[in-house]
Amino acid sequence: MKGHQLRRGALSAIWLRPILLAGSLTGMLAQSSPPAQRFIGSEQCGLCHTDIYKEFYRNPHFKSIALGKDAPEKTGCEGCHGPGSNHMSAGGGAATIRAFSQMTPTQVIDTCLSCHSKDLSKANIRRSAHTDANVVCTNCHSVHHSPTAKFLLAKKQSELCYGCHEPVRAQFNMPVKHRVNEGVIQCTDCHNPHGNFAASWGNCSTSSLLSASHDNEEPCLKCHVDKRGPFVFEHASVRVEGCNACHVSHGSTNAKLLKRPVVFTVCLECHNGAGTFGRENLGVYSLSPSHNMLDPRYRQCTLCHVKIHGSNSDARFLR
Amino acid sequence: MTKKLRIVTFLAAAVSPLILAGRATAQQTVAPTDGEPVGPAAGATFANYNISQSWELGYRFASVGGDDGKYRSDVNYRNGLRLLSGSLLVHSLEGHGKWFDEIALTTAGLGNDPYQSATVRIQKNRLYRYDMLWRSNDYFNPGLVVASGEHLEDTTHRWQDHDLTLFPQSAFRIHAGYGRTTEDGPALTTEQVFTTQGDIFPIFQNVREQYNEYRLGFDARFRAFRLTVQRRWEYFRDDSTGAVTLPEAGTPPTTLAGFQSSQPDRGRTPSWMGNLIGEFSWIAINARATYAGGTGDFVQNEIATGVNGGGTAQNQQIAVSGTGDRPALTGDFNVTLLPASKLTVVNSLSFADTRMVGNNEFTEINNATLALSTINFQFLGIRLLTNSTDVRYRLTRKFDAFGGFRYADRLIRSTEDAATPATALAGLSAEQPNHTTAGVAGVNWLPLTGLRIHFEGEAGTNDNPFTPISLRNYHELRANAGYRRKNLSFSGGYQGNYNNNSIVVTSYSSHARAYSADASWSAKAGVSLDASYSILRLNTIGGIAFFAGAPVAVQTTGESIYESNIHALNIGVHFAATKRADLYIGYNLTKDTGDGRDSFAAQPTPAGQVFYSVQTFPLTYQTPLAHLSVRINEKLRWNAGYQYYGYHEEFGLLSTIQNYRAHTGFTSLLWSF
Repeated sequence: MKGHQLRRGALSAIWLRPILLAGSLTGMLAQSSPPAQRFIGSEQCGLCHTDIYKEFYRNPHFKSIALGKDAPEKTGCEGCHGPGSNHMSAGGGAATIRAFSQMTPTQVIDTCLSCHSKDLSKANIRRSAHTDANVVCTNCHSVHHSPTAKFLLAKKQSELCYGCHEPVRAQFNMPVKHRVNEGVIQCTDCHNPHGNFAASWGNCSTSSLLSASHDNEEPCLKCHVDKRGPFVFEHASVRVEGCNACHVSHGSTNAKLLKRPVVFTVCLECHNGAGTFGRENLGVYSLSPSHNMLDPRYRQCTLCHVKIHGSNSDARFLR
Repeated sequence: MTKKLRIVTFLAAAVSPLILAGRATAQQTVAPTDGEPVGPAAGATFANYNISQSWELGYRFASVGGDDGKYRSDVNYRNGLRLLSGSLLVHSLEGHGKWFDEIALTTAGLGNDPYQSATVRIQKNRLYRYDMLWRSNDYFNPGLVVASGEHLEDTTHRWQDHDLTLFPQSAFRIHAGYGRTTEDGPALTTEQVFTTQGDIFPIFQNVREQYNEYRLGFDARFRAFRLTVQRRWEYFRDDSTGAVTLPEAGTPPTTLAGFQSSQPDRGRTPSWMGNLIGEFSWIAINARATYAGGTGDFVQNEIATGVNGGGTAQNQQIAVSGTGDRPALTGDFNVTLLPASKLTVVNSLSFADTRMVGNNEFTEINNATLALSTINFQFLGIRLLTNSTDVRYRLTRKFDAFGGFRYADRLIRSTEDAATPATALAGLSAEQPNHTTAGVAGVNWLPLTGLRIHFEGEAGTNDNPFTPISLRNYHELRANAGYRRKNLSFSGGYQGNYNNNSIVVTSYSSHARAYSADASWSAKAGVSLDASYSILRLNTIGGIAFFAGAPVAVQTTGESIYESNIHALNIGVHFAATKRADLYIGYNLTKDTGDGRDSFAAQPTPAGQVFYSVQTFPLTYQTPLAHLSVRINEKLRWNAGYQYYGYHEEFGLLSTIQNYRAHTGFTSLLWSF
């Protein structure tokens, strides 16, 4: 078996771990340290890394130490950093230990996935857009210096995401927005940064980082449960293309997070009678002649079409 | 670009090399205090537990001038005493607590802030883990744009979720959960009486919606596999009612003397989810199947009395009852191949079949003489099959490339049917297939230590998009570069999305571009700066058809144009000149310069004037803030902050100006021990 296969096997196959791990960890360190590595225990690490060790009982990874039953390669400091004998005898140094700062993005993912690969929320990480962009675990998580109570995030969640997604920060600073900065909503309410399955709405054009709602529906429906239906009269574009057909998700200068400043242009851009579109191939329904756009009330479409997201009573969403 | 904006842009460009962040990331709301701990979070040791707490109690104030409704819609902070933030952390020192090993409680905004939340985690190693989340959002929206202010909402939205995992570190885990969402409060809606050309009246609405979810499941690990099975039961109920309590006069002689409406809705969605994950040395699989059988039962009873436009007394009752069903089946299968250390291949196959079937009986009785019943049947089906393949290859430690191919096959089917006493069900069915193909490619490059460059592009086409604004021929480009060196970092990015959807009336074209740059710098002397600047541009044009004219409306075609040109600036400076005091000063600006017009130009036709006036929506929204935190002793800090909200529209939106300015702030004591 080749070295890289051995490493990957050690990181992923549980049934092979007892056999492979020692070899794999040794293999990973082979580039920078002599092969005679051995595990020394977390207490030894704590002799130098005092600040980390004395606070480690607060860390979720402390469970492996508290359990006291895991093999050395699966517990405490050496569970992630590999055997520390050479590092200790050398008096420290990133070259003598499995230091995350020296790893390639793939190595970081492989190391973390050796335990977390079977977490349901992380099982799609290898196909996520973050992985494609080399944004891996340690870009967002700080195992030893996390300021958050959960998930070992390196910063407050929104600031963490804004760090790369600067236009998104700008969107959430707009007058109309979901309340992310105010703390009532978090990015992960709608997104799974570790990747997700393909969406059941849209058509192959939806980000795999969207976190589907109940039963693989749009994440919007987690909170806006009244829009979920099922309705007798569905507004087909909502179901087929999703909420973003009319709304923007993060923030906008337009009321109700609409894509346009007024509602009638939102509606008219689809309801223009264009052929080949629509459920009956008759075109998206155009306006009836009674809708004189010079009359202000016909520019407030939802004044009459109050149940625009779907209705149980009326095909035109009037009640 | 206006003169002010040019100045701001210049300052941002000039200052950016010097700027920003580090510890003092830009803070968007002035309270609660964030990132300024009193002292080392050592906590206290009691009975083999470490306990640390932090509580911030303060008074928040707000003074608003201008459009209060718009302020409440955008910001909504009010006066009052608040527990601005809180945290309680309890950890067992050995990981062998009798009842628990960790308690983590966090709160924010308790005591009537419009945005409140609390989280709890309690766990005991190997035995259980419990997580709770509670949130509340006071929602206010004047509904001006969608219904001339007659769809005002003043509701409270609350969420809670409880999640319990038994044996969290074992090969067999049991999961149980409960979630609840409610929305309550007064609102306005509208009703058109007594015909579809009749007058429209505002109706008071008492919103009462509730959603409950129960979850139960397990996951089991066996060798290289983990199987997860979850059963979920969801219940939705809507008991909102609508009424007018006093007669309302419309266009003479129309009068709505009385109106009552109730439309209780009961929905339930039992569902199954199964997931199998397998990891081997060179292959990983992730397979999932879900089935949800959504069903809703409803009745609607609506009574309206008054006088119609012809001066005839009206007594109208509408009764509707029926059901809606939505069975949804999805399946996913992902395979990850790791044939070599530098190569990763991922294939994802997904299938979704959603069918929405509804029927109702609609009965209208007018003046107790005319009865009209209609039986409706509706079906909408969406079947979607997608497949994507992604390949990632790492050429060197500093350079890798990836590419992928996406394919989607979607079939939309519909049947619409209606029967009255005079006509039988006839049925009108149709289907619309469409296919999307897309390719993606990108690279990651680390040319220098600390410098990262990422570029990717996607191009796709859909042969039969569902709506005139759907993606048809589209492409997207993304580029990011970032440099990080010790306490200094810079980054910049570009994202462009272009879509062209040619339709019969005219072509719809959308072009969105986002440019961004940010920089951060932390000085050892206790000064850190953070600044970012983004330009978000959107230009769209779409063909429209509408009726306009006097005295008789005639069908007209034209174009709907929208231009948005948003400049967003965010600057934050944090000073910690001494160990005793911290000062944070921040500034946020959102400025949409629109299409550059200074005023409305006259248009040749009245209809042209209507559309010309809504092609752009220039405005300025700025929120400067200052936050001072002074350490009184090792456990106590005093904090004070001020934040200004200024909202200014350049033009009225349909002749309505919603400008406001608000002075908000707070003072608090932060106690950590």
